[in-house]
Amino acid sequence: MKELIMELAACVAPAGREDVLHAVLTQHLANCADDIQTDVLGNLIARKHGQGQHVALVAHADEAGVMAMHADDEGFVRLTAIGDVRPACLPGQTVQFCNGVMAVIGAEARSKTTEVGWAQLFADIGACSQAEALARLPIGTAGVVWAPVQPLSEHRLGGRAVAQRTACAVVIEAFRALANAGRQVSAVFTAQQTVGARGARTAAYNLQPELTLVVGAAPAGDTPEGPRMALRLGAGPALKVMDGTLLTPARVLRHLADCAERCAVPVQYEVWPGGQTDAGVFQWTTGGRWVGGVSCPARMVSGSVSVVDVRDAAAAVRVLTEAVGSYA
Amino acid sequence: MLLSSEELLRQLTEAIGPSGQEDEVRNLLRSQVSGWTERCYTDVLGNLFCEQGSDKPGPRVMLDAHMDEVALMVVHAEDNGLLKFRAIGGIDPRVLVAKPVYVGAQRLPGVIGAKPVHLQTASERRKPLNIEQLYIDIGARSKEDALSHVQLGDAAVFATRFGILGDGCVKAKSLDNRAGCAVLCEILRIPAETPRIGVFTVQEEVGLRGAAVAAYRVAPDLAITLETTVCADVTDVPGHGQGTVLGGGPALTVQDGQTLANQQFLAFAVRTAERFQIPYQFRRVKGGTNNFAAIQRSRAGVIGGSVSIPVRYLHAPVQVMALQDYHNTVRLVQAMLHELAEGGWPL
Repeated sequence: MKELIMELAACVAPAGREDVLHAVLTQHLANCADDIQTDVLGNLIARKHGQGQHVALVAHADEAGVMAMHADDEGFVRLTAIGDVRPACLPGQTVQFCNGVMAVIGAEARSKTTEVGWAQLFADIGACSQAEALARLPIGTAGVVWAPVQPLSEHRLGGRAVAQRTACAVVIEAFRALANAGRQVSAVFTAQQTVGARGARTAAYNLQPELTLVVGAAPAGDTPEGPRMALRLGAGPALKVMDGTLLTPARVLRHLADCAERCAVPVQYEVWPGGQTDAGVFQWTTGGRWVGGVSCPARMVSGSVSVVDVRDAAAAVRVLTEAVGSYA
Repeated sequence: MLLSSEELLRQLTEAIGPSGQEDEVRNLLRSQVSGWTERCYTDVLGNLFCEQGSDKPGPRVMLDAHMDEVALMVVHAEDNGLLKFRAIGGIDPRVLVAKPVYVGAQRLPGVIGAKPVHLQTASERRKPLNIEQLYIDIGARSKEDALSHVQLGDAAVFATRFGILGDGCVKAKSLDNRAGCAVLCEILRIPAETPRIGVFTVQEEVGLRGAAVAAYRVAPDLAITLETTVCADVTDVPGHGQGTVLGGGPALTVQDGQTLANQQFLAFAVRTAERFQIPYQFRRVKGGTNNFAAIQRSRAGVIGGSVSIPVRYLHAPVQVMALQDYHNTVRLVQAMLHELAEGGWPL
């Protein structure tokens, strides 16, 4: 599990460039899926035909990032956000672009630290002219903050995109177990979630599953003066009660809680009023669908680095496998 | 009568078409394209569909251009006959005071007024006038007088005449997006090499509403939105804030407020522009969006993107466009359609 998460988190896949992750995902799904497809928005969907109703396991593949928008005469590149990235956090950081170009980020000297916006930031890629900058970093090239995932202790990982790629790893493992058991199931790695659940729209319309279980990361509140969330790292996966897009139907939540109990997995409950996830989009598609969620607690979930506990992820796989396998 | 590019732009920009009340624009467009289409029809929202080349092989292409413009809606008549209003779509209130407008389909002349500067308090003078402080004056003497000429819900549009500026620029109201409509008109007059559905859409300025419905109906293989876009190559704006440059050619989107560009479409557009030696530029700003955001998310997803003409002073009473950008946009879209027919991008 730990190795899988680290392999997935090593991929640079800002929203709109999920294709970078597709090869790795495909490699882990190919020997157990009946078919694997990508669609126009960049979703990757693996399907297994088999027994039972169609259940979809969903995790978003993309991450927040930056995009090159302009190069000046001296070769400095101006950036904008892809998703929720705070410009004031970027000066002093290194950015890795999808085409391999590296940049260090600076801010205009006269700007105050607290007031740094995109208009004050620049990326230095070592170019000496506008022509050189644009040749190496065409306008529209996407990138991410360079902060490779690291093991912090025996069970905990920290770094860029680790929270989200943990959810992808959970979906891979649960899908493999269910597919090998002959169960009808889909694994959906949605695109463009961080910019507003765009991929989920078309994937949900395309698949129309009977039940969708959205796997994600929910903020842990156990950091110093942390966010107001009753979730702790390492205390088990969180069953989604609500986020900003979904109130989980009682029937689905009860099924998940029963399954966790049968697996003897301790769980927590996610109440995340501000959480923007794919869940609501799946619920609203084509006349309304059953949707629930299982999240792994993650620290600093909206920052450029986050921390997860691999034991929560492994337990989430057990709950999901039971929940899909026993869904009538 | 078939209109030239300039005359088409003049008539389209002088026509009235606030969101939800696009009738005049739609009728003008229908008269210009119906002779070239196999089927020409509207839907419940008022989108105008123009089908061509249904017997041709190749991908079904949807070409979208929104007809509506930002405007004002009359919501109340004061006892003194002055009309209070709200914005339809995104309007910067600072551009409104002292502008002439036409109210309603009958084009009743009016003027946007406000309390004179010498009667404003010191704090009022420091802040720009907001919409609540403004009114439309149609010369009525009383509420009854006003309501005998206009109805609440009537829309007011800027009373701007189309004109030529300098050598090769035009000024007009609602170049956003009558210029896109004109491009689509010109494209529809060129014989179709693949099946295509031109759609003049409604209610873009209030949330991409017409396009969402139109895309669901058409379910195209590929869609191109024809638009205008922000151009701020003006005094005191650094290069990275300009968005686009006037005369720099049609603009291709890499990311806007609601869309991340489809990489294959973007590469196809660039390849085509370079092959046909048509100037192009990237839209170097993230804010704002257009109909393609709604089209892309229709059903199981639609491939495509937008091609936009740079326009200065979008959503203001007078907007400015370079004719060279307009003609190059027609050329680029025509070249892309030709490349699609030739299998230049197998879908």
